[in-house]
Amino acid sequence: MTGGRRRVLIVEDDPEAAGQIVDALTKNGYEVDLATNGNHALRLGRSTEYAVMTIDRMLPDIDGLSVMRNLREGGVVAPVLIISALGELDDRVRGLRAGGDDYLVKPFAFVELVARIEALARRSAIVVKETVLRAGDLELDLVSRTATRLGREIKLLPREFQLLEYFVRNEGHVVSRAMLLQHVWDLHFDPTTNIIDVYVGRVRRKVDGRRDYPLIHTVRGVGYCVRAPR
Amino acid sequence: MALVIVSALLAKTLRSSTFKHALLAIVVFGAFVIALFGYVYFSADSFVRSQTDRTIAAEYEILRKTYESGGRGGLVALIKKRIANRPIEGSLYLLADASFVPLAGNLSVWPSALRGPKGWENFSAPEWQPDRTSRPPLRATFETLPNADHLLVGLEIDDLSKFSKEIRAALIWVGALIFVLAGMASILITRRTVGRIEAINSTSRAIMESGLDKRIPLRGTHDEWDQVAESLNLMLDRIETLMGEVIQVTDNVAHDLRTPLTRMRGRLEQAYHRQRDSDYDHSLISDTIADLDAVLRIFSSLTRISQIEANAQKAAFRTVNLAEIANEIVELFDAAAEEKGGRLSLVGGQSVLVTGDRDLLFDAVANLVDNAIKHGRAAGQVIVRITNRKGGAVISVADDGPGIPADEYLNVFKRFYRLERSRHTPGNGLGLSLVDAVVRLHRARIEILDNLPGLKIRIRFPASTKSGLENRSVPMSCT
Repeated sequence: MTGGRRRVLIVEDDPEAAGQIVDALTKNGYEVDLATNGNHALRLGRSTEYAVMTIDRMLPDIDGLSVMRNLREGGVVAPVLIISALGELDDRVRGLRAGGDDYLVKPFAFVELVARIEALARRSAIVVKETVLRAGDLELDLVSRTATRLGREIKLLPREFQLLEYFVRNEGHVVSRAMLLQHVWDLHFDPTTNIIDVYVGRVRRKVDGRRDYPLIHTVRGVGYCVRAPR
Repeated sequence: MALVIVSALLAKTLRSSTFKHALLAIVVFGAFVIALFGYVYFSADSFVRSQTDRTIAAEYEILRKTYESGGRGGLVALIKKRIANRPIEGSLYLLADASFVPLAGNLSVWPSALRGPKGWENFSAPEWQPDRTSRPPLRATFETLPNADHLLVGLEIDDLSKFSKEIRAALIWVGALIFVLAGMASILITRRTVGRIEAINSTSRAIMESGLDKRIPLRGTHDEWDQVAESLNLMLDRIETLMGEVIQVTDNVAHDLRTPLTRMRGRLEQAYHRQRDSDYDHSLISDTIADLDAVLRIFSSLTRISQIEANAQKAAFRTVNLAEIANEIVELFDAAAEEKGGRLSLVGGQSVLVTGDRDLLFDAVANLVDNAIKHGRAAGQVIVRITNRKGGAVISVADDGPGIPADEYLNVFKRFYRLERSRHTPGNGLGLSLVDAVVRLHRARIEILDNLPGLKIRIRFPASTKSGLENRSVPMSCT
């Protein structure tokens, strides 16, 4: 078997979109294989070990979900990101939620795609049972559900704690607004307002207000990133 | 001529299923009629026949007794007397000796058909009653007497066979008449049915060819055909309205998409004719992406609404707690309300269960709360209230802002509709359309009320058997 941690398979039939995706991922340090139809994807998926696979829902020969199922039955365990143009209410893609893999609705920003792939690749790499998460001088106690910075407790609502936990778990990586909605609120819709920004703003005031350095950073056009200074 | 018309009608109606069913009914009914008539005929015939035989047997008995007491001489005398008196119309007597030479009676020859010691026979005799030209059928019993003489007693059964024939003819005629009438009735009914169906058919064809303005004519009889036509006409009305709405929406989509697309086109055209300048290009590209995102958002909102309206999402229906959803929304939007200096609060039960799609309900209520914060008073109050009434769960979102004029209440649910004063606030006029679609999917009702001051939007869910959990009393552990 060939492959590796930074090797991804992209299954996309539109040549221009495929080219753009390959480009975006290559720039982010990924090795990218491209399959333009379902059969090609099955061949590649079975012969190579990928960190992540993205599969378009609608392919010219085989349905993207069937490709995924087929690979799974053949023992391929790499996480799959399904890309659908059918919208958030596509029932079958919604069904994926239970399966644990991710989905993205077309059109999407490339940063969003990269962020999702990063998250999936990490998920396949680390399975650690921690009770305390750390980022810089921030400490999250997952048992007592309390957050402290330099030993001083930060008062957080349960949902705010969840949000911060998700940030810290993805330390150093971009987290998009849609990912937050999906993983913190278990919601799958596109808020037309800046509601997430306002919410994060409040958490940020509690976490970063009057501290030595900020932990939550805004990534323009995408979302946020938690980063502690080295 | 009549046959030609009937066959022409038949040819037209032969393919009709109604006619086929009528034909089947006629066949079954006809079989019963034939069986019944056959029974009537045979029982009447055998009754009359046995009556004749009894008359003959009684007469024979009298003669036989006379023979036993008076011998051949007495018998001859009696036969002569009976022929002279004729007590029974059409009666027939003959006494012949051992070699069949007639001794007395009104038959000149012993019929050759009657041989043997005794028996019954039907026959016709040419010699009998020479005044009659016809040769009527006869029935007789005969016996060889102990002195080897032959005695025959019989009756003319012309009447009997006439009666049989008449019954038979009557039955055949009645049967034929029934078949003809039934056939005609079924043709008429079929013609009528085919005619009504044809009216519906031709209207359908006219609609396919020219448009939705045609309607199926009613006959005013209020029968089932009129009811069918009425339902179909109502359906056509509904389709016509929907088509009108689709055209309206298409126009609106075109308008709402053209505006940003024109802007983008102009911007790109300008940039095309300019010298490359990285700062300018950067802001141009980011503006264009933002505009494109707005266009895409309109698209996804529209597809979302039509998907919900296509009723395809019931698969995700399960029991959800409305209070929990409301709580999460209030928590999510709390920060947004705070930012405007206002307050968002939740009033109501801990567990109000409804059957529905969590994501869609969240989306709908979030839309209402978002509207209330956005369009309500700065530093205002927004209250989300949940109640569980007998008639079903109710959720309302109320603000204390300027509200909307009563004559706009119905318009706000239309796609792309925006109040004049909110033209310049962010939004695409699809929020309440989405809420409306979600509400209808859940068979709930939405109402707009004046909150005095402000606006209150209330969603009433249909009564569910699963609600009412919050009424369950929790035992206290220490008192």
